[in-house]
Amino acid sequence: MKKIAIAFILTLLVSVGSFAQVDRSKLPESGPAPEIKIGEAETFTLENGLKVFVVKNDKLPRVSFTLVLERDPLFEGDKAGLTGFVGQMMMAGTDSRTKEQLDEEIDFIGASLSAGSTSISASSLKKHQDKVLELMADVLYNPKFPQEELDKLQKQTLTGLATSKDDPNAISGRLSSALVYGKEHPYGEVETEESVMNVKLADIKSYYETFFKPNIAYMAIVGDMDKAEAEKVVKKYFGKWEKGDVPSFEYNDPTPTTKTMVGLVDRSSSVQTVIDIAQPIDLTLGDEDYIASRVLNQIFGGGSSSRLFMNLREDKGYTYGAYSSLAADKLVGQFSANASVRTDVTDSAVVEFIYEINKLVDEGVTQEELEKAKASLAGSFGRSLESPATIANFALNIERYGLPKDYYETYLQKMNALTVEDINQTAKNLINPDNLYITAVGNASEIKDKLAQFGEVIMYDNMGFPAKEMAAVDADMTVEKVIDNYIEAIGGKSAASAIKAAKVTMVAEIMGQQLTIEQVFDNANMRYMQNTLVGGNVMQSSVIKDGKGLVKVRGQSMDMTDEQMDASKMETYYLPELYYGTMGYTLKLDGIKDVEGTPAYKVIVTTPLGATVSNYYSVESGLKIKNENPVSGDTFYTDYQEKNGVMIPMAMTIKSAMIPVPLEAKVTNLELNPVLTEEDFN
Amino acid sequence: MMRKFTALGLMAGMLTLPALAQKKIEYKEFDLDNGLHVIMHQDNTTPIVVTSVLYHVGSKNEQPDRTGFAHFFEHLMFEGSPNIERGEYMNIIQARGGTLNAFTSSDITYYYELLPSNELELALYMESERMLQSKVDQTGVDTQREVVKEEKRQSYDNRPYGSLLIETLKRSYSEHPYNWAPIGSLDHLNAASIEEFQQFYKDFYVPNNATLTIAGDIDYAQTEEWVREYFSEIPKGTKEIYRPDVVEPKKTAEIRDVIYDNIQIPAVIQAYNLPKQTDPDSYALSMLSTYLTGGNSSLMTKELVDKQQIALAIAAIPLELEDGGVFIMYGIANMGVEPETLEKEIDKLIKQVQDEGISDQDFAKLQNIIENNLVSGNSSMAGIAQNLAESHVIFGDTDYINQQMEIYGKVTKADLQRVAKKYLDLTGRVVLYYLPKSAETTE
Repeated sequence: MKKIAIAFILTLLVSVGSFAQVDRSKLPESGPAPEIKIGEAETFTLENGLKVFVVKNDKLPRVSFTLVLERDPLFEGDKAGLTGFVGQMMMAGTDSRTKEQLDEEIDFIGASLSAGSTSISASSLKKHQDKVLELMADVLYNPKFPQEELDKLQKQTLTGLATSKDDPNAISGRLSSALVYGKEHPYGEVETEESVMNVKLADIKSYYETFFKPNIAYMAIVGDMDKAEAEKVVKKYFGKWEKGDVPSFEYNDPTPTTKTMVGLVDRSSSVQTVIDIAQPIDLTLGDEDYIASRVLNQIFGGGSSSRLFMNLREDKGYTYGAYSSLAADKLVGQFSANASVRTDVTDSAVVEFIYEINKLVDEGVTQEELEKAKASLAGSFGRSLESPATIANFALNIERYGLPKDYYETYLQKMNALTVEDINQTAKNLINPDNLYITAVGNASEIKDKLAQFGEVIMYDNMGFPAKEMAAVDADMTVEKVIDNYIEAIGGKSAASAIKAAKVTMVAEIMGQQLTIEQVFDNANMRYMQNTLVGGNVMQSSVIKDGKGLVKVRGQSMDMTDEQMDASKMETYYLPELYYGTMGYTLKLDGIKDVEGTPAYKVIVTTPLGATVSNYYSVESGLKIKNENPVSGDTFYTDYQEKNGVMIPMAMTIKSAMIPVPLEAKVTNLELNPVLTEEDFN
Repeated sequence: MMRKFTALGLMAGMLTLPALAQKKIEYKEFDLDNGLHVIMHQDNTTPIVVTSVLYHVGSKNEQPDRTGFAHFFEHLMFEGSPNIERGEYMNIIQARGGTLNAFTSSDITYYYELLPSNELELALYMESERMLQSKVDQTGVDTQREVVKEEKRQSYDNRPYGSLLIETLKRSYSEHPYNWAPIGSLDHLNAASIEEFQQFYKDFYVPNNATLTIAGDIDYAQTEEWVREYFSEIPKGTKEIYRPDVVEPKKTAEIRDVIYDNIQIPAVIQAYNLPKQTDPDSYALSMLSTYLTGGNSSLMTKELVDKQQIALAIAAIPLELEDGGVFIMYGIANMGVEPETLEKEIDKLIKQVQDEGISDQDFAKLQNIIENNLVSGNSSMAGIAQNLAESHVIFGDTDYINQQMEIYGKVTKADLQRVAKKYLDLTGRVVLYYLPKSAETTE
């Protein structure tokens, strides 16, 4: 009895013991760092040279096949853009399947299949693997390359190019690449309209025949498939793929600038400046400095607790975000620190960037920063391992970069062994604060002078080419003369003044729909009407008459505010330059600018209430070639034709943040001095 | 949010299609004396662990004059505890290499941390602090009210069609508290006293209303030991948990309205009341939505977006809820297309499915697409944890996670036509037109 009681009490004690209150006043310690079990990829090579990696993971009945070509980067020169077409051209149908049939067969098994210039990827459920491999092999062996697909892709690319010419981030990217790598380097060249249109079907076929060879290819198989099965299916579908000689290419390393310089692209409608501070670096995956460079970047500008973010956003409020990167590459890597900042703090932001770069290289990092960065990077390394594709990627990297077999197995150990001194040394090895490229895309008239303190300022155009040298404005040139020259150029004051009213119809295409703009101008009575129709339906109309403005959207109307009226009045005259004086506008000549290659006088027009637009008049012809309006965007005038003795632009290109692609509008109907009735303004 | 939830719910493991050997998801579960339900799933492939707590409280558990409480708590519950400094919750997790997040639906509030597996004890400690002694004080309430205000501005007021859920629910439910969306009313939050917030915490943030799920690189015995250490001392709630017992009456007439919003392009919304989430018809309805708008080759996308080009986008979303959700269909009109035109064409296609059903070929394709999606859905620990928790709480059986594929396999072609007729009832639905605000001025 006693025994039992003691046993009972013991049990009680034990259980009480195990439920003893935990010490909640301090955080539990981390357990011993887990062993990272990176599943090893199995590998084999076919006779034709195709090297295969198999990462078996049968948690889910899925399997994916990724084919990668390892070729040298290509300098595409006058056919820049070629490689961008290859993937979609390969997916555009085969000898036995049209594009539609191919799409339907992929969809039917719930699979995915895609191609690029150096890859083809497929994935599906295990049970559909034969079908998806059959489709993948068909795309690899028998692409049809239809001409109509190339035509379509070229058209799409031109549209994209037009959009990117006005996109400040795209401009910034092109400029940085042009400066860091040079235009004669595969990483520095740009696609142009000419180079894109220069790509012929034969070029695509030749690329395909040259580079799609098994002896430069790797295949990664990830999922529910073991090595034995992989050998069987790879042999079946890719065994007869014939090898061939693939050319190799070498490039000179870019020569870095000897002292810090500033590259500036003028985008006068910008309210923000895109800043990118960059330089080429010698860094490849597997280098001594590589892992330290990940930690370094994490501390400097890798995230929302990094130095750049804390300084430029949290402390100064210059930007929504400031980041950096240290990109590694076999040929040449790149350091970059970037942010989009308000125009008026452009120079202050650059000061902070330079300060942080100097501080990083001179003073290094702290132990606390190092520990935090390690924890954060180790965490994301661990999480990335959840995806089996990561393992395949590791195996590919070990092969492509000649890394030790245990490189990723010991990655975290290597990272955790890094000291403050290691990181500081890496900062000194990689970053040179004395020869940076500071690039800026923004309103040059506001920021150019302020940027001169950082180095010589060189102007570039929106494609990253040096801007045409714009002559200084002659000393005796005045804004009045620019306007007079314009009026003279269009036919003289008397002919221009004789146009008292006009009806204009313009037509453009947007997203496959016809867009029509109808305008009626009545100078004498200060009346104006504009209808915008899409597919025949009136989307919006504006009427100004009797000193009032009315905007109608979908049949419902709204009065214009005083500010809107003030700004709109400027647009209501058919030839507004004749009336700038009487309207009480202030004009300012802002130098000679490059408008798509044409030197032009820039005139800033300000209304009594402070609204502004900018007009650009060709130095050579005197004609107005561009209008910048903060509300409606940029309008480019072309195809001037003589009507009633006055030169009138019959084509316009409108670029605006409100529309996804530039609008190409043509004047389809023009009536000068028509008889106008009240109905024209209803 | 709920769509994702629903989709994950479906993805557990499904279809009895013969060739498919879907792996069973193994787990262990136990209850503490205080009522906390614990589910553990071991998978040592990757050294990470997900720790989540599902509180069975959503906006439907709120009082009509105190809406937004459940969602507000999702913010307030990061304010810390006597042992965790204000605002430090996230920093602590991040400094140990982890990430975290949370969400609130009409039915549940869900918190999770994703950490390296040697930080499991930390995750359990953090979640136990939240359940035992989370800070609910005036400073925290004031701070988080500002954050929620900002969130409402960003996600609802300033986002095109952002008020869609709010406006739809308001009209789809006349009796049931699904009438209001989780974001609730800022006025209600402003009017509430600190005691009311504290009471809400006492009522709903109790172990007997919570499910703790741990999935990943764990040791079952060690995990259970830590769970007992950190969670056993948390007292059980003393009150019965308030759960509304309201049956939403069937609508007999269509409700039609116009919403003026900060948008450029009109949209058409249709909403049809659904059966309870646990109703067998839910599966056919989910498949029906995929048939209608899932992917480029789906019926409505092909017809209205590609062929007729009258819609920019179209989507059918079965918002599945415990007490019966809504099947929301929304179409954004192409430029120059009147919403009336778009609605007529949508109705025509619904009618077509109701009258003619779907072809064998399409049904086979649909099964393949759904099967592929479902299988892929269980590829992450975070997905599995959420799925296990929901199986237990919503479907009353954790093993439900392993049964879904079988249930899906039973849906027939005829079922799709039948549920289209039964639930997509044109006379008892809600129809909303979203029009640009500029169109409102003279009305």
